[in-house]
Amino acid sequence: MIVLILSVFHPELVRGGAQRVAWDLFQGLKQVPGVRPVFLAATDRGLPALYKTGACITGFDGLPDEYLFLADDVDPWWHKCSDPRLIEAYADFLLRLRPDIVHFHHFMRFGVELLTLTRQMLPDCRIVFTFHEFLAICAADGHMVRWTDGSLCDHATPARCHACIPEAPRERFVRREAYMKAHLRAVDAFTVPSDFMRRHFERWGLPASKITHIANGQMPPDGIPASPSERGARTRFGFFGQLVDVKGVWLLLQAVELLRADGFTAFTVEINGDNLRYASARRRAEIERFIEAEQTRPPGERIVSFAGSYHPSQTGERMARIDWCVVPSVWWESFALVISEAWACRKPVIAPDVGGPAERVTHEEDGLLFAFADARALADTLRRAAIEPDLWNLLAAGIAPPPTRRQMVREFLSLYAGGSAVRRSA
Amino acid sequence: MSGSPEAPADFDEAVYLALNPDVAAAVSSGASASGREHYVRFGAREGRRYLPISGEVRAPVVITMATRRADGSRAPPPAAFGVEAVHMSPGGGVFVAGWIDDATDPLASLTLRGEGFEYDLAQVSLARLRRSDVETRLGSGARHPYGFWSFLDLGRDLARIGTCQLIIRQESGAGVTVEAGVLSVPDADLRDAVLAWLAGTEQFGDRHAATVACLEGGLGAHLVAHSRRLTAAMVADPFVQRFGPEGGRVRASLVVCLYGLPEFLFLQNALFAGLPGIEEYELIFVSNSPHLADRLLRDARIASLVHGTRQTLVLLPGNVGFAAANNIGFAHARSDRIVAVNPDVMPRQQDWAQRHLDTVAALPPEQTALFGVPLYYEDGSLMHGGMYFTLDSAPVESRGRLVRHDLVRVEHYGKGAPPDDAALTRARPVPAVTGAFMSFRRDWFEWLGGFSDGFIFGHYEDADICLRSLAAGTPAWLHDIRLWHLEGKSSPRTPATEGATFVNRWQFSRSWAAAIRNGLLGPAPLHPLLRAPR
Repeated sequence: MIVLILSVFHPELVRGGAQRVAWDLFQGLKQVPGVRPVFLAATDRGLPALYKTGACITGFDGLPDEYLFLADDVDPWWHKCSDPRLIEAYADFLLRLRPDIVHFHHFMRFGVELLTLTRQMLPDCRIVFTFHEFLAICAADGHMVRWTDGSLCDHATPARCHACIPEAPRERFVRREAYMKAHLRAVDAFTVPSDFMRRHFERWGLPASKITHIANGQMPPDGIPASPSERGARTRFGFFGQLVDVKGVWLLLQAVELLRADGFTAFTVEINGDNLRYASARRRAEIERFIEAEQTRPPGERIVSFAGSYHPSQTGERMARIDWCVVPSVWWESFALVISEAWACRKPVIAPDVGGPAERVTHEEDGLLFAFADARALADTLRRAAIEPDLWNLLAAGIAPPPTRRQMVREFLSLYAGGSAVRRSA
Repeated sequence: MSGSPEAPADFDEAVYLALNPDVAAAVSSGASASGREHYVRFGAREGRRYLPISGEVRAPVVITMATRRADGSRAPPPAAFGVEAVHMSPGGGVFVAGWIDDATDPLASLTLRGEGFEYDLAQVSLARLRRSDVETRLGSGARHPYGFWSFLDLGRDLARIGTCQLIIRQESGAGVTVEAGVLSVPDADLRDAVLAWLAGTEQFGDRHAATVACLEGGLGAHLVAHSRRLTAAMVADPFVQRFGPEGGRVRASLVVCLYGLPEFLFLQNALFAGLPGIEEYELIFVSNSPHLADRLLRDARIASLVHGTRQTLVLLPGNVGFAAANNIGFAHARSDRIVAVNPDVMPRQQDWAQRHLDTVAALPPEQTALFGVPLYYEDGSLMHGGMYFTLDSAPVESRGRLVRHDLVRVEHYGKGAPPDDAALTRARPVPAVTGAFMSFRRDWFEWLGGFSDGFIFGHYEDADICLRSLAAGTPAWLHDIRLWHLEGKSSPRTPATEGATFVNRWQFSRSWAAAIRNGLLGPAPLHPLLRAPR
């Protein structure tokens, strides 16, 4: 069986959760006898030397069954490819490879019409699509967070979407939805990493029978200490991820400020991650002001330290430096791979009470939940975590092993074979 | 006064004189030292313009005062006047605009004289309009249309004419001859500028009715003739490219006219493709926007690969409007069933294409020679269940009298009604159907002579062809096949398209008001061919 996996980027080139999951699946499928996975990763002009004259699909560093789709000029509203040569190259690629399964992990950078084209070229192949966010539903970056007030959005209508993006008339959202659905019709099976996402897509109009919940599975991070350190105070908090708005590092810093104003300073926060340049101007300025102010304090008064970017292989050692993993995301968070990483390192998670985190973290059993996007609630939760005796031990003991790559591969293989939906309880 | 601190930094002597011919006359006669001096001393206080508005003449205007009466005596000049635009196009369009203080001494003639031609515009094509800026300048509170404008389609090459004369005469004998520099403008630009001008004109009383009324007396006819001439040239040699599979049976052709927004090509491919019955259709896109050519060619190539659709792209060198674009699209169709579809029409019933073919196959030919369908707004309510006609009557001021003007209004049955009102969606003959979706038997469409390209850009040509069909004994029908129509969002509106709306309404009313009064008025017309079967 040949499985073609389309990934929004190659994780060697651009980090991100969706490509990480696609890559893990590719690596996992390689271990399965009788399965030949092929990895096709889109790229962008951020690495211009990858673009060879006249080429549309090339190999990747001589690695077997790994290819780059040299994406170009993709319309960000329609997610439509504008270059016929890319379309033709993909069609040729399909006909040469003749995969039994084509598994899309995104349409971004490829163009959503590749779904229909795949069906057109290979009428008998099975097309699987994994949603990593809500880009099909939501033109506002696919987060389903209202640009009007930052609140969560649970369904799209032309009027609601127009309120988020007033420059687009209501009819444009109707057309966008119809266009997306027209191409998604080609898909045989959809998967979502968290069960709550099913509700959004079902309400949007996708058939419930086509949507399966398959959790993102991972190999455990490298460098995990054999056993957690024995220490009394559990006052070290860590953030891991991109410094973009929706990941909510700004909310964490606001919570720190509140605690400092309260006179509570007996804790530390370590920020791991980068890509601050992709944050909005407002949040970037807010974070940069915080960093600057923090650095002017005497070393003994500093609470927050910025550890910068890290390679996935460093995850274990970075996690070893903290007690609690804070996930302050201000969107639904489709799965939050970082929760799996924290659990693999036996670190309890502090996360918002919505979406993927709320589905995964059980409050006061294996972690703590706080009111979504509420800096005061997060501050109170941090304080409680830092001072409540035995809380850390209780929660750490409640952590179950996160979903594994093997488990994920098994569930996808079942889906590829036409198996019925594999559903986890919400 | 050169370099006076009161003169604006962007003051231009030549432009100021061109915009203010009376000042030019004063400078010419020595009464003023220069335009700049005049502006500083008087012009700024009088609110005179020293910068041209878009499309306004920048060519120099030279005044000669040697106008003479019939007896050869020298005529006194008008009390105050201005010639603001003399534009000509290679295809023969002429646009003249200006104003005159003739409240007490009416304008008797306005003669345009050039190499080999001479026309009294007042006789062939002249409209008066309100000019509140002139009222301010003259300090006049009179309800008098000081402005004038004219458009002529001379049907001859005017590309090389550099100057012409405009001879103004008033009833008292006062007059002036203006030697005007001609601004040469491409034909389509001139048409669009004149339509934009029309859309922006000021009127006394009911502005809409008065603007339409000003097209009487030749202006409207010359505008239509000019537009027709342009259209004929633009559709003469289109760029045509076919995509997708050759051969196979084509039972129906969907013709979509694109203007301004290219996205509808890939949208309609995506939304129509794959639906039951659609494999027996072809798509024909006709582009009125030459700047979209490259994008449309790429998208058509992609869409044919992605969807396997049979399609034809017809690219035109300019905007010929809905009627001519559909006519040429139909001419390239490969089937006997041709359907005009607006770009913003989308399937509401997934089996609409099959139902359309079944309807054509099952019903008597006279019920399917020309038919429309129920269309719906994006909010789910009915947008179109057929069309009918009413009349708007308005008094229009003309030389101190109120003249009755009847303008035909085209209404939709059930606009905004609940979606399933059978009285509105059932099959029946109707006075007209919208051009957003019109299905024709090809031979009937051709016998009718196609859409009339006299309607500029769009509007009313759909009702016009329905009325011509009715007059020939075959009414339009409505059949219950349902689609969405995101009305009015498929192409950007411009001042020129606003102006065209006035011309089209004038033309439609002139052609059909009498017939509509005689049995076609209102939602329940008495015309015998429109009696619905029960």
